[in-house]
Amino acid sequence: MTTVRRQATRRTPERIPGQGDMWVLVFFESLVFTSYFGVYLYYRGRHEAAFLEAQSHLDLGLGVLDTIVLLTSSWSIARCVQNARRDRHRAALRDACLTAALGVGFLGLKITEWTAQISAGRTFTSGDFFQHYFFLTIIHAVHLLIGFVVLGVLAHQLADPRRRSQKIVETCATYWHTVDFLWVLIFALLYVVR
Amino acid sequence: MTRDTSKRELRLTWYATVAFYQMYAVVFFLFTHIQPPGQPWYDPREVSQWFARHHGGLLFGLALIFALGGLSATSIGLITYSIRRMSVSRAFAYSYLILYSVSAVPGFMFICVALTAGAMRPDRDPKLQQWLYDLGFLSFAGTMGVFLIGSLVWMTAILLDTNGVFPKWFGYLNLCNALTEVVVAPSWIFQRGMFAWNGLISWWVDVVVFGLYTGVFILLLKRMIDRDGPLPAEAAA
Amino acid sequence: MRRTTGEQVILGALPLVAVIWIAAFFLFPGFTPPMSPRASAAQVAEFYRKHTAGVRYSMIVFNWFCVALIPVLMLIVERMRGMAHRTPVLRYCMIGVAGAAPIAFLTASVFWLLAAFRPDRAPELTQMYNDLAWITFTCGVPFLVAQSLFLAVAIFLDQQSEPVFARWVGHFNVVIALALLPAAFAGLTESGPFAWDGLVAFWGKNTAIAVWITVMALVLRRALPRDHAAATTAEAAA
Repeated sequence: MTTVRRQATRRTPERIPGQGDMWVLVFFESLVFTSYFGVYLYYRGRHEAAFLEAQSHLDLGLGVLDTIVLLTSSWSIARCVQNARRDRHRAALRDACLTAALGVGFLGLKITEWTAQISAGRTFTSGDFFQHYFFLTIIHAVHLLIGFVVLGVLAHQLADPRRRSQKIVETCATYWHTVDFLWVLIFALLYVVR
Repeated sequence: MTRDTSKRELRLTWYATVAFYQMYAVVFFLFTHIQPPGQPWYDPREVSQWFARHHGGLLFGLALIFALGGLSATSIGLITYSIRRMSVSRAFAYSYLILYSVSAVPGFMFICVALTAGAMRPDRDPKLQQWLYDLGFLSFAGTMGVFLIGSLVWMTAILLDTNGVFPKWFGYLNLCNALTEVVVAPSWIFQRGMFAWNGLISWWVDVVVFGLYTGVFILLLKRMIDRDGPLPAEAAA
Repeated sequence: MRRTTGEQVILGALPLVAVIWIAAFFLFPGFTPPMSPRASAAQVAEFYRKHTAGVRYSMIVFNWFCVALIPVLMLIVERMRGMAHRTPVLRYCMIGVAGAAPIAFLTASVFWLLAAFRPDRAPELTQMYNDLAWITFTCGVPFLVAQSLFLAVAIFLDQQSEPVFARWVGHFNVVIALALLPAAFAGLTESGPFAWDGLVAFWGKNTAIAVWITVMALVLRRALPRDHAAATTAEAAA
């Protein structure tokens, strides 16, 4: 009897994963970032040559590495959600830790990149392109730091059987995916589009 | 003592909040032309001209804020009450109350005082005019720390709340608001460009987000008041 | 049960605070008579050179004690708990403005002290500090206006057999709010009753504040013992 009920619950999917409310955040932040990208493209359109010159100082290889790291972290958190759904909570917790570790790795790479640019004399105030570069990457990093708090909430949920809520786990994962998604856009805009 | 069961005080304060924000918008945008702000890159002569151009509107509009700006406390009172209805510690409510009470000083006092001083003596040395101009606009734009922390306090309270006073998505909207307030900070660094105090990001995007956020919480407060049921015994204190 | 210990102490300290304030007010050379907004930079600089000590000492005292009214304001907030309101919203509004109002006075005193700090600096600078001080002091009434309005509304909505404050106190607060309002417009004119040295914006406003403090103190003196008695009875019964 219990097995039938459990199977029934599992087979009824939630229409939206996680709290619907989190999608409001995703939507709103996407809108805000779109406006930031719009501003970037506007300034780029007006000073194309200067932007191209400045962009040549960015290390495309590092950018690609950043992207791979974050995409992997998205994979690991997706696996975490799957494991949680199948009640494999210890595995899920391990995936969450892996995600966090990859996030730390990303942050480390970004700090290295910023330090390199700053010691080469290119700072927040070194012209339009680098203003945008530092702004977008730093505000993204802030979102990533918030992501660590979110992962903390997720781990807190998974760690204790009395607390576990699949909904919250999925909500946290949604946020992390958003962080990854925003990075891909930033990467495309700043590093790739030349 | 039987408590008044009508919601008059709630509705009165809500209408006062709406009136205050409308007045604020009309004064800042229309009367005084403080929003959109004057250009940060004006040299002293241009600043003097800005003051001369807006002389009458500035003095009258700012006087209105001096007279009625205290009504801003109504929204603070209502929001503090909303947090008290939540299942979280009272520390959240009292933090919010203090943070936003303090915010009134950089939120409108400094800019009103500085720009009134600037406008009242048109023959003042333009370099001093520029000093007052900077004081007004930078103290207004550059002190977002209060709103940053205040929004985070409210957000945390909402996300932890089990009484459902506000929908969770509004908790997340507070985070969006906090993050957008933060990006106004570079206005201390730049006189031109998107981060100047009138820049595309520091002003335009910020005002749109803040405007939306304010409109939303005013509506949510109304909903809360309409729903306001019997008080839990301890919230009555 | 509400604790009322110490409230009489706060109220009892008020006369002392009042004496200090009145002393600072009359000792400040810029108030008697109030400085004119029409004074030239040279005249303002001359004033500060002549009255340096007077400005400094009176303003230092003012600076220390301008926040001294807050505990009394909190006594009023505590009395509001006894009002027959549905929610504490009006109390929160009161607390909100009680914090901001003294900051206006504090900032004004800082500007006056700055003006007096280097009497030999360029007269235009001294005049600017002087302007900032006077504008903050005179026009900085929004929190006081709101405070009186909130209190008036609270009193009018306090409909029970034994209201905490009598209805006339509510009307009184409305009158005070109206008396304070014109001072907000002092920036618009340099002469006449509405200028910062004028009959309405200076004498009217400051008298209104003094009258408000006196009347509210007396009203509180009558209201406190009632709550104190109720508290002691409750404690005895418990």
